[in-house]
Amino acid sequence: MDLHEVEKLLEKYWQCETSLEEEQKLRDFFASGTIPASQQGAADFFQYLKAEKEKTLSKNFDGVVTKKLRHRQSGKIVEMIGYGNMARIAAGVVVVVAATFLIRQEIRKSYPKELQDTYSDPKMAFEETKRALEMISNSFGKAKKEASKMQMLNEAEKKIQAKSVDEKINI
Amino acid sequence: MTLEAFQSMVFPVKNKLYRFAYRLLGNNEEAKDVVQEVFIKVWNGRDQLSEVENMEAWCMRITKNLSLDRLRQQQRRPTDSIDMGMHVSTNGLSPAETTELSESMKRIAALMNQLPEKQRQVMHLRDIEGYSYHEICEIMEIDMSQVKVSLFRARNAVREKLQKIDAYGLA
Repeated sequence: MDLHEVEKLLEKYWQCETSLEEEQKLRDFFASGTIPASQQGAADFFQYLKAEKEKTLSKNFDGVVTKKLRHRQSGKIVEMIGYGNMARIAAGVVVVVAATFLIRQEIRKSYPKELQDTYSDPKMAFEETKRALEMISNSFGKAKKEASKMQMLNEAEKKIQAKSVDEKINI
Repeated sequence: MTLEAFQSMVFPVKNKLYRFAYRLLGNNEEAKDVVQEVFIKVWNGRDQLSEVENMEAWCMRITKNLSLDRLRQQQRRPTDSIDMGMHVSTNGLSPAETTELSESMKRIAALMNQLPEKQRQVMHLRDIEGYSYHEICEIMEIDMSQVKVSLFRARNAVREKLQKIDAYGLA
């Protein structure tokens, strides 16, 4: 590439009108070492870009990352939790279960006796049920008695009405 | 996907990822950590890898996002510590020429460092890594016009500074 062509291409480059291929041509030119003094600034700049592109990671990087990825492949949950943490979580669960049990017991104790369940003693449960049914039955009996009184009143009313009708007819 | 397949598919881009992370963070160790993190993320999401259109651009985008997250966490602005100890090939140069070249590289590194963040990123992707405008859009998650404007401004800023250096020796 002659100097005139380089200058033209460089002008295009500063105006952002160059293609990637043209930019590569400029890089190649400035890497060739035969730089005219008039383009020294641009040459330094392209030299800087080249040096930047040569920065690489250290050789052991692949090994370090591969090891980490392999660990994750073989089961990241176990790795994340660990035995120490598992023991802590188990202890936490035991504490929560024990606390729940004790609180439940306390709540049960504070219930009035009549509200407590009797299902643990079938005989007592039977007696309780019998008592409840008898109470309902007594209530029904009372209600029936009251209802028969009402019936008597109705019959009496009917008789009085019939009597008064007869009297009107006879008059 | 096997680890071997993953290695042959993803590992070749490691140096590009590293250079980009380094450009953003300005710290060698942090840049390495970010690349490791990217590989772990991609490995964890390897089942979706077949749906990714451009795997390299996708990895670069993850690198950018993770690097910017780190900067945000540390509440610092993108790098102001780009390595000034450039490793430039000095084969066949005299000690005086080597010193002069090294000084030029430092000046250009400082000049690049003065560019606004977006311009610096776009210039890195185009002029160091050689990505197309379309790929830069994908990596940076910005539209084509923004990419072109950023690159135009960055190159013009560099050109102006180089002209000043050439004329007065000022950076």
